[in-house]
Amino acid sequence: MSQARLPPPPPPQWVVSLNSPMPRPSKAASSIPDPPGFSSSRGGKQRQQQQQQSITKRPDETDALKMKKAWEIAIAPSKQIPMNAIMMYMSGNSLQIFSIMMVLMLFKGPIQGLIGINAAFAKYETPSTHSRLLGVKVVYILMQLALLCLGIWKVNAMGLLPTTRSDWLAWESERQPLERAHFAFR
Amino acid sequence: MWLQAALFFAACLSPAAAIYSDEVDHIDFHHALLGTPSPDSTFFLKPFTSSNASLIYTISDKLLVGAVNPRDGALVWRQNISRSADSPAHGAGLLRGLDGNDAVVAAVDNYIASWSAQDGKLGWEHRVSEGVVGDLELLELEDATATSGVRDTIAVVASEGNGIVKRLDGNTGKTVWEYKDASGDIPFQVSSSSTEVFYISLHSAMLKGFKIKVTVLDPLTGRQTRHQILNSEADVATPESVLYVGANSASPIIVWADKSQKSLKVNVIGTKEVTSIAIDNTSGSGIRQITVHAPHKLNALPHFLVHFETEAGAWAEVYHVDLVSAKVTKAYRLPYLSGQSAVAVSVIDANVYFTRVTDLEAVVVSSASHGILGRWDLQKPSSDIALHSVSEVVAKGKSVAVRTALFRKYGDWQLIRNGQIEWTRHEGLIDTVAATWAETDAQEDLAHELEVEGHETLYGAYLHRVKRHVRDLEHLPDWLKDLPKRILSSILTDEVSNLDSFGLAKSVIVATKSGRVYALDTGNHGAVSWGIQAVETSDWNVKAMLTSPGVVTIYSDDGGSVTVDVSTGEIVSRIEPSTSKLHSIAVFEIQDGSSLATVGVREDGTPVAAFANEDGFLVTTSIDGRVLGWAAKDNKTPVWEFVPPSGQKVVEATARPAHDPVASIGRVLGNRSVLYKYLNPNLALVTAVNEQTHTASFYLLDGVSGNVIHASTQAGVDSTQPIASAMSENWFAYSFWGDVDGSESSAKGYQLVISELYESPLPNDRGLLDSATNYSSTAILPLPYVISQAFMIPESISHMAVTQTRQGITTRQLLCTLPSSNSIVGIPRPVLDPRRPVDRDPTAAEAEEGLFRYAPYLDFDGKWYLSHTRDVAGINAVLSRPTLLESTSLIFAYGSDIFGTRATPSQAFDILGKSFSKLQLVLTVVALGAGVAVLAPMTRKKQVNALWRA
Repeated sequence: MSQARLPPPPPPQWVVSLNSPMPRPSKAASSIPDPPGFSSSRGGKQRQQQQQQSITKRPDETDALKMKKAWEIAIAPSKQIPMNAIMMYMSGNSLQIFSIMMVLMLFKGPIQGLIGINAAFAKYETPSTHSRLLGVKVVYILMQLALLCLGIWKVNAMGLLPTTRSDWLAWESERQPLERAHFAFR
Repeated sequence: MWLQAALFFAACLSPAAAIYSDEVDHIDFHHALLGTPSPDSTFFLKPFTSSNASLIYTISDKLLVGAVNPRDGALVWRQNISRSADSPAHGAGLLRGLDGNDAVVAAVDNYIASWSAQDGKLGWEHRVSEGVVGDLELLELEDATATSGVRDTIAVVASEGNGIVKRLDGNTGKTVWEYKDASGDIPFQVSSSSTEVFYISLHSAMLKGFKIKVTVLDPLTGRQTRHQILNSEADVATPESVLYVGANSASPIIVWADKSQKSLKVNVIGTKEVTSIAIDNTSGSGIRQITVHAPHKLNALPHFLVHFETEAGAWAEVYHVDLVSAKVTKAYRLPYLSGQSAVAVSVIDANVYFTRVTDLEAVVVSSASHGILGRWDLQKPSSDIALHSVSEVVAKGKSVAVRTALFRKYGDWQLIRNGQIEWTRHEGLIDTVAATWAETDAQEDLAHELEVEGHETLYGAYLHRVKRHVRDLEHLPDWLKDLPKRILSSILTDEVSNLDSFGLAKSVIVATKSGRVYALDTGNHGAVSWGIQAVETSDWNVKAMLTSPGVVTIYSDDGGSVTVDVSTGEIVSRIEPSTSKLHSIAVFEIQDGSSLATVGVREDGTPVAAFANEDGFLVTTSIDGRVLGWAAKDNKTPVWEFVPPSGQKVVEATARPAHDPVASIGRVLGNRSVLYKYLNPNLALVTAVNEQTHTASFYLLDGVSGNVIHASTQAGVDSTQPIASAMSENWFAYSFWGDVDGSESSAKGYQLVISELYESPLPNDRGLLDSATNYSSTAILPLPYVISQAFMIPESISHMAVTQTRQGITTRQLLCTLPSSNSIVGIPRPVLDPRRPVDRDPTAAEAEEGLFRYAPYLDFDGKWYLSHTRDVAGINAVLSRPTLLESTSLIFAYGSDIFGTRATPSQAFDILGKSFSKLQLVLTVVALGAGVAVLAPMTRKKQVNALWRA
């Protein structure tokens, strides 16, 4: 019965060429320059291994790198402040759908940022960086609060904050006289 | 929050909303009234030579000359000549016109004027310097001097015992000739035949009575050709004894009766014979009135009709005059019929027709024979007495058609065409002295139920409501039955016309000086729902009209009152007048708020009785110009008394309207701070004038303590011109004619001053009382901070009122009656803002508040005219009433004319406008639905196919 079993079919051409190393390019072909961005050196696996080796080799350096990245993230909201400020200034104080939408976006960003603060820094969270990240987080929170303040300033400028006497006027009532006079003039 | 939103919404809208021309006659109505037409100055007349159309012309007891279209009763034109005469109180006016002559000539006192009959434009006017116009006739005869077109006028002027006959040119009104009669006879009338002009005067006989003297004048030169004296002294005791003087006839006649009314004396003017005709009185009762009806046309047959009226019935006799022999013969007799009858004469070519309208039928006869040409039964016999009538007969082959304008005793002017009432003009409304909005009792049950629910426990109230709703289910079948019709009608008609369910169709009850009460339906163009004679009087001085659901009680100055059912006009109860004359009526709300109590106030300002209301104070005015304050239970000594400084006289006093809701107690400034309003419902604005020094002072009094809260004095005021004032919320306004020539400013003309009261000059400050919830006026209170501003206005304002809306959110309008332009204007309050910046442009914050630069001259914008282009004359008072729609206020003006409209000071923000088409909306939705229904299967198929193909 075992004789009856057919030998496995030869692997297809593409499998063979995949497994066999690339043939040496001919002389003429080697003179053609590689297309831009193509690296002729051997695959990424090796390089990754090399990188991992270097990181594992120097942990204090990776921590410093992580802290640097974390600082970048913490400072990032402050870069939006000038842009947002200009946008808010330009959009005017009237109640229109665009200015309302912009103000809503302005509030949405910082609040989402504040809620997702741990997720934002999770990548850089290591036992060694944990204590140092606290300061970074505080700065991040401050930056988001600054953005929020910008939003509040805008809402106030639009007159939406009940900060003036007129906003509470509807809750004030008319003084009633204790006596009532009737007039017979006609 | 909603309040704020609504406020914001109201503020966003433009303050002034004009009445558009397509809204005229749609949202408003106008009764252009004339008054009681004068019996001998009312006639049908064809103003156009080309067309056969005729108009009814009349002059009324109010000295209004008017033309009425006989087809629909609409007023074509109207002129008030009482303004032109020196002393219009002198008797009735005269109006004459001729067919084919485009001029009607009217006279009153010393004033004669000619108007174009077609459009009422003034042709000429002539003022007689010597005396009073006694009679007027248009000269129908054509003579050599007659120019084309308009006929000349002959007038008799009575001037200190002398008679003057004048012929005035028809085109210019200039005197052509004048005949002076210096004999001392009483000038009586003027008449004319085809060849001569007759001047009829009454010559005092030796003993008593008058002889009728006829002076025949040459129409060309005015010279006397001859004169005749008729021996009438036994019969004619006073000028009124002469029954009739004909004119413009081939043989004009003078008719008078003897004292016992046994015989009739007829003289053809210009001849000497007097024909005596025995009066054949078979009715058995005395004759009350004899009237003579003869044609006023030169080519008409010389026939005339004498109408005899007794207390119970009337008959008429027709006489013919022989042109050659001047003999008068009786032709036939219209039979005696019991009840009232009115006779009118009309002429077609030379034929004379008489129309007799009795209680039951209308009959047309020819003057030649007694055969009845047409007879119609009246569709709606009226119990109202017919006083006089004019008619117009149209002959169609053998049959005739007739239309008769009949004036009835109670002020209805009806046109009866072939027995059917075509229209009725309620001329009795011209004397309206008081009006009020009626409250129907339809919503009374619901209000009562809601009140019950309000007083029960939560559970009990819930049960009550469920039960009420279950009970309401019995109306469900009717409601469902009505539903398709309602939906259809709401789609087809636009929203503006269909608002009756929002309280826009209110009934107005008006009381007239002649003792009549009418109900006008504002939802139906002011149509008269009913009219009754409430009191038999000629001078009903109504002091107050109080409405409670279903009834209205009318109080007059004699202490009497009449309670009338508002839906049927039945008199429910009546309180007979007492002896003391009342100056005013005070109205109190009884504690439970369901009914009203009244206390009469005597002329010296004292209440007739102590009033029961415990915490009430009463403010009255006395006839000698004092303002008095009274506390409850004491009608002997006033609590306080306001006497203006010596020389000043109180002329007017106003208070805030009873319904005056304040939506916001403060005014929000541009920087969002608040200026608090000084709100006090007990304020009264008293106007006092000093005629010697020409000043007018305006005192703002607290009605409880009598303290003067604010006073201002205007110099150079003409106290003979109207001074109007109004109050609402925290502001008051007044207008006057002033001539200020001061060092810093001078102004001459009509001025409107507006003052606003605030708690404090500082924003965000409620003054000393701060947030206290109540206060007593007897304590020492801080005075308000007053901001005032004056505007120069183009004309005088005779009456001011303020629009009222349900919650007071809508901006108010100051409703001003303009007597010189006969219109009503609603000035938006934002325009009359005393805080408008003077001599500078507003800052950004001020502009945000809606303030704009102050301009001293306030021209009435065309958009403000609530009366549009109508001529709303003689308005004495304007009423305003809130509706269920916050945006809309009902306006009703009365006095001489009746006018009603709706005001939307902040535009109609809570109703869909005319441009909104429900039909279009429904069609769009249906079309979209159909599109979806068609496309959905197609798309689904496409998607499935796409899945298979992948």
